This record gives sequence, C-alpha cells and structure tokens, in this order.
Amino acid sequence: MTRRTRYIPDEELKASLVPPPVASVLSIVPGLGHMLARRWKRGLTILGSIATLIGLLIWRFLLAAPRDTGFTDIVNKAIHLQPILLWISIGIGALYLWNIIDAYVVARNPRANPSGLMFAILIVFFGFGWQIGEVNLVSLFSGGENAFSVLGRVVWPWEQAIDRPEEYIEARAPILVPCTDENPAVPEQVPGEPYLMSTPTCGTLSEQDGTPGSTLSLSGRNFVPGEEVSILWEDPIGNEFRQRQEGAYVVVPADENGEFEVDIIMPYRLIPPSAGEGALLWNVRAQQVAAIGDPVASIELKLAIEKIIETIFIGMMATFFGIIFAIPFSFLAAKNLMSASPITLGIYYIARTIMNIVRSIESLVWAIIFVTVVGLGPFAGILALTIHTIAALTKLYSEAIESIDPGPIEAIHATGANWVQTVMFAVIPQIIPPFVSFTIYRWDINIRMSTIIGFVGGGGIGFLLSQWIRLLDYRSAGIAVWFIAITVAILDNVSANIRERFV
Amino acid sequence: MLEVRHLTKVYDDGTVALKDISFTVPDGEFLVVIGLSGSGKSTLLRCINRLIDPTEGEILWNGVDLAQLKGEDLRKSRRHIGMIFQHFNLVRRSPVLTNVLSGRLGYSPTWRSLLHRFSKADMDEAWKALERLGIENQAYKRADELSGGQQQRVGVARALMQEPEMILADEPVASLDPVLAHSILQYLEMLNQEDVITVICSLHYLDLVQRYSTSVLGLRQGEIVYRGDRSDIQAMTDEEFKEIYGEEAERVGGGLQGELQHDAGGEV
Repeated sequence: MTRRTRYIPDEELKASLVPPPVASVLSIVPGLGHMLARRWKRGLTILGSIATLIGLLIWRFLLAAPRDTGFTDIVNKAIHLQPILLWISIGIGALYLWNIIDAYVVARNPRANPSGLMFAILIVFFGFGWQIGEVNLVSLFSGGENAFSVLGRVVWPWEQAIDRPEEYIEARAPILVPCTDENPAVPEQVPGEPYLMSTPTCGTLSEQDGTPGSTLSLSGRNFVPGEEVSILWEDPIGNEFRQRQEGAYVVVPADENGEFEVDIIMPYRLIPPSAGEGALLWNVRAQQVAAIGDPVASIELKLAIEKIIETIFIGMMATFFGIIFAIPFSFLAAKNLMSASPITLGIYYIARTIMNIVRSIESLVWAIIFVTVVGLGPFAGILALTIHTIAALTKLYSEAIESIDPGPIEAIHATGANWVQTVMFAVIPQIIPPFVSFTIYRWDINIRMSTIIGFVGGGGIGFLLSQWIRLLDYRSAGIAVWFIAITVAILDNVSANIRERFV
Repeated sequence: MLEVRHLTKVYDDGTVALKDISFTVPDGEFLVVIGLSGSGKSTLLRCINRLIDPTEGEILWNGVDLAQLKGEDLRKSRRHIGMIFQHFNLVRRSPVLTNVLSGRLGYSPTWRSLLHRFSKADMDEAWKALERLGIENQAYKRADELSGGQQQRVGVARALMQEPEMILADEPVASLDPVLAHSILQYLEMLNQEDVITVICSLHYLDLVQRYSTSVLGLRQGEIVYRGDRSDIQAMTDEEFKEIYGEEAERVGGGLQGELQHDAGGEV
C-alpha cells in the first residue's frame, strides 16, 4: 500500500515543532498536535469538525429528550428513542482517538497526508444528516398502498373531465293523513307528462311501536323506460325524505313503456305541532334522475383550460417585461464595457451586486411579497417572475456581452466607421444569437415557474392545483397536472427548435 | 508618401513597444516589417491608423500628421487606410457580403447604417470586390462557414471597399498554410501593383519576404535594426539575421528558404 503524501520541495520542508509522542498527547485538544506539527489547516479542520460534531450531538440529545433532566436520564431516553444517536456518539469517540493517532503520523513525517480521518469526519456528518433529516426508508415503502389509489386518480383523471347533464323527472300525488270524508282527488293526467297515482289517496302513518301504516298502491306513467324510479315523501312542512322499506330505499325500475307499479307502507314520521291540527296534506313523489343530451366538458376541465391559458400568458408577460429591463441593465453589468473609469466600474459592481441578491431570492418568495402589494391574482405572479427574470437575464446577457470577440470591433473601427456604426455592425450581430437563446431559455423557465407560482396566490393553474390537492380532489388535480405536463412539453420542444435555429 | 518621425509608444503598464522610430515609405511600396513576436510590429501598424495612440512622434501622410488627428478628421483619414488582420476579424455570424460592405461604413450616413442598408453603388462595389477576389459564390454564406483562406480574402475585400491608398496587413498569413499564404500575398501584390496601393505588411517567413517585398524593415524590441530592399534580404548575413532575431536564433536550411522558429508569445 502506498501512503498518501504531499509534495514539498526539500528546502521548504520543516520538521514538527514537537516530537510525535508530544503531538499525540497535545491532541487531547483535537487538532492542537497537528498545529504544533506545522499543519495549521489540518489542525483547524479537525478542531472545527470535532467541535461542530460535539455541538450537534449535544443539541440532538437535548432535542430528543426535552422533558428529562440530568445527564444519564437524557442520554438513556434519547438513545432509547433514537438509537442512531448511539452510533453517532461512538463515531465521534472513534474520530477523537483517530485524531490522536493522526497527530503522531503527521508529526513524524511532514510529508504524510493521510486522508482516512477526513473521510471518517465526513461519514459522521452524514450520520447526522440521516438523523436530522429523519430519513426513514420503511415509511417510504409502507405508505405505498395509499399512494397508489391517489396516484391512479392523478394519472388517469379524465372521468372528471366530462359531465353528463342530468334532469329530475318527477310526478307527485297528494295523500291526506289521516283519512277524512273529503279525500284529495286523483291528480289529473296531462298527456306526455310524468304521472303518479296513489290508491287510496289517504291513510295513516306507521307508529313508533312498529304498527304498520296504511298500504298505498302507487302506479306511474310516462317515465323514462328502463331507468330507476325512487319514491320520496314530502311532509306538510315541506321536508323531503326517501321511502324506506325493509331497511332499504324503495327503488323501482320503469318498464319498457315507462310505467311502474309499487306498493308502499306509509312511513313513521314525527312532525312538529306547528304544522297544524287535524288532517294534513302529504305528498308522495316518484323521481327519476335521467341523463339528457350529450356529455359536455366538466367545470373542472373548463377551469383548467382557462387557467392554463392564463399561465402561459403570465410566463409570456414576465419574459417580455424581463427583456425590456434586462437589456439596458446588462450593459451596465458587462465588465468589458464598464471598466473604462472608476465611476463606471462602481456602477458595474453595484449592478452586479443588486442582480445577484435579487436572483438569489426565489420567484415564489417574490410572489408572496407581491401578493401583499397588488393582491392575489396573475399580476402578482407576473411581477414576481419579472423581477427574477430581469436579474437572471441581466447576468446571462452581460456574460454574452463580455464574451464578444473584440477583433471585429477593431476591424470595423479601422474602416473609419463611427461609434454607432461599429455597434450596429460589430457588436449587435455578435450578441443577438446568445440573447435570443438566453431569452427563450428563460421563457421556458418562466412557463414552468408560472405553473407553480399560483401555489402562493400568483394566479395561473398552480392556484387550482393547490386548491384541489388540499380538497383531496385528486382527479381534478390530475387534470391540472396533465395540462401542466402537456404545456411544458410542447413549449420545451418549441423553444428547443427556435434555439437551434439561432445558435 | 508616409513619413514616420521619432515615433514612440509606451503602454500604460510601462512597456516600451516602440522607441523613437523614423522611416519613410514612398507611395506604391510593398514594405514588409519583420521581427520577433513582441518586437513592436503590431503596435507600429496600429499607430499608423491610430487604433493605438502613439505616445510621441509624428506620422505624416500626404502632409497630414495622423498622430494629431481627432474625431471626424481621424475617421475621414482612416477611410483611406485599409487593414487586414491575422485572425481576419470578420463578424463571424454575418454574411460575407455584409462583412465586405462594412468596409464602406466610413462613407455611409449613420441613419442608413442603423437600418443595416447600403446604397446601390456600394452594393455594386462589393460585388466587384468579391469577384476580384474570386469569392462571389460565397457572398451569402455566413463568414464562419468559409475556410481560413477564403475568410482572409473577405478581409482583403473589406479593405478594398475603403478605396484605400494604403493597406496595413498585420501578419495576414500567419494563420494560413504556405499555399494559402502565397495566394493572399498575391492578392495584396495585385492591389499594390494594379491599384498602386501602398502596402505595409508584417511577416514571419523570410521566403515570403523575399518574394513579395520591395522594401524591408526589421524591428527588435521597438527599434529599427534593419532596413533594406528585396535584394538586401537575399544577401542577408548571419550577423544581420541575429541582429533582428536575437543571438539564439538559427537560420534553418542554410538561410534563404528558412522559416524562422519563434516562440508563440503574446503580441504587443
């Protein structure tokens, strides 16, 4: 095995300040031995790493056992709840011992550069990453069943995209409770209209003790053949309820002529005294739900289409405004144009700094800020994307300007062309292709961003998507996801095509 | 006639590129400037058309001191001085025709340039120049689609569009193979002889110098160390050679046909 060493010319080689065993002993303070062996960087790295790891360890122990006091209680509880903390503690202990050995090695040989300790430090940091990140591979697989039903609806949501308009076909017959001398007449039959007849037209309700009420023979005509008819009641104060018999709702199919016959026992029902005294008029109703006409686009589908169009335009407007501002800014942020005098160089640094700060804040954050300024809606989204686009395009444009070839500028200048002519013939032809390319690239990003800017109220389809996900309406959410995917795919292709043509 | 008097150029970083140089170039001469990379050849050529401002000295051309010109006057004088570059310096993405026409910008009004347009007469001139250099078939191609030799011919055509009285050529064939080098220099020779255009050209290869120059100027560290004509070059002694190219230089192949090996160091 070859030992890792670093190259130092002999004349620069300096021995350790202390003998190797002393360096080892001094490494009781991690890294101190290394520093005295003239290995400053290594020593500081070890000291910093081990101190950070111990700090993290204390923090995680306290966090895992917040209600315990006393060293042993905390340690026992935390290790009980989070066994990985034990392994990390052992790892840190091992690092500490390794640090002492390492100090001996580097103090003995100034050229020695073993990398094992550095790897070990990294591994312990990854252990913390695992614990702090609450990585739990079991939950990833155990939650699968729930995910599949949701995923199924998202992947194929199109049932939700179609609506069949429906219509209630209904007929009613009045029933007097209880019977009197003047019972209601059988309703008149209008040709073509659905019709319900009850025999008799009066009766008594079932009692609470189970005594059955009167039996009514219902017959209906002019209903939609083959479709089911449900029987409902309307009590004297206008409340509706469905007829139940033997624990199930009464449903009868209409025959091929659109007729049906069914016997029902009058239900048990309390009505308030305010309904009146004596005989009261009830209604029995026969109702069909029938689809009429052709299937039409559902409201969800319409909304999704509306919003995806809005989304595309948000992206377009943001790109457009972005270009308008980014072009002048990019000249201010191009070093080759701005390094002529200290003043312009100052402007260059200011422009660069502002753009870097703006660019480092995500569009979603800008959207939240602008929602508070202009309110919910697409305009907030446009502003947020515009700000980010200006910063990003300024950087890309200015780099394009910085990388132009000075040769043609010199050549055109030498022909006796003036400044404007030089810009027109030597600068612009060089920057147009990268500008077009970067602009389309940014447009692409903006369309993609505009699909999620709605999550924070910036308009577009993201708003619908977040709503539907929160309502657990995964079918509708699936429609939105499909639209986003299709739009992004198409625009990806279009932009790739345009870019190819220009570059 | 071009008359350079006591020309000195000191760059901002203190580098002395030219030290008190004086020489004259009669009209119609083919002057070749030789010397190592960094000896001041490029600086000398660029001082003449003022791409670089000289620190001191006079550059008298037809009685006008180019070193003193400013603004519009400088622009007007530049129109009559064509320049050809080692790396062609074409606008790579523009068509050949546009590159050639851009030699005409000094004569075009600015408003027309803003629209990227040229007059009918300029267009005719451009086609004539393209035909003269044998690249009329390439007119609508992008400049970077052409081979190196063709690109340099575009560079020559662009210079020709200026109706120049003088052409400055800064190592015009250093990026080309020997056959193309001859071809480009033959075009320059043609312009020199047919149109009586003064050519000042820097070259590295002594066989090319012998073949094309009517007069030779050797530079070393910003000073003139050699002056002669074509016959003088053929009779150049080893001492003179070393005077130009330094003590360590060696003439390859016994001398005359030799190509000089030199460091590809940065140009000044």
